[in-house]
Amino acid sequence: MIRQQKIAVTVLVVSLLGLFLGITVILMRSFIPYFPKTAVAFGGFILAFGVIVFISRFKKDKGAVTFDERDKLIEKNAHLAGFGAVYLLVILVSYLPIGIAPEAKIPTKWFPFLLPLAVLCQCFAQSLATLIQYGWGGKDGEK
Amino acid sequence: MAKSEITNHIRRLRFDNGEMTQQQLADKAGVTRQTIIAIEAGKYAPSLPLAFKIARTFGLHIEDVFQYEDESA
Repeated sequence: MIRQQKIAVTVLVVSLLGLFLGITVILMRSFIPYFPKTAVAFGGFILAFGVIVFISRFKKDKGAVTFDERDKLIEKNAHLAGFGAVYLLVILVSYLPIGIAPEAKIPTKWFPFLLPLAVLCQCFAQSLATLIQYGWGGKDGEK
Repeated sequence: MAKSEITNHIRRLRFDNGEMTQQQLADKAGVTRQTIIAIEAGKYAPSLPLAFKIARTFGLHIEDVFQYEDESA
């Protein structure tokens, strides 16, 4: 597995974990009225810091060249996939509430949650696209 | 990445050139070993400059290394 694949797997796992934790925190907050916000912020900060440190410790690949035209193409396609996923999320978030409950009202305090959701969506789609293009396995066939 | 319509003889040429490793060819062509692996497997069609570099590494013309399979022909 090359460095880009390792980073993609890490980001994929962390974004899924982040989504799971985010949903858990939102559910807990609806049952526990005085759920401490600072604990959530601190947890998020520690998680983000841990991930950055973890990724920075991945060793560089062997060989004189570690990034070439194919990596550039894969990166470009992955960015496009991430952008497309965020676009789909925006469409979904814009129209889904109308379909579910046309007369309902959404509290404005929910809108800031769209930003971390979009970031998670971008990270998830980008990592998935990277892994699909490179392949999931570590066997890269030295012959 | 999808299979390309470009086929090549890189694997045979590497063995004909003193059993050159994928890493050695990658270093000479200025790409990563994974790119050479993908080209050999037909999973990636190299750019024209890279195809020229690979061909020149073996001292051959580009058409001696790469072939385009035209399905309409």
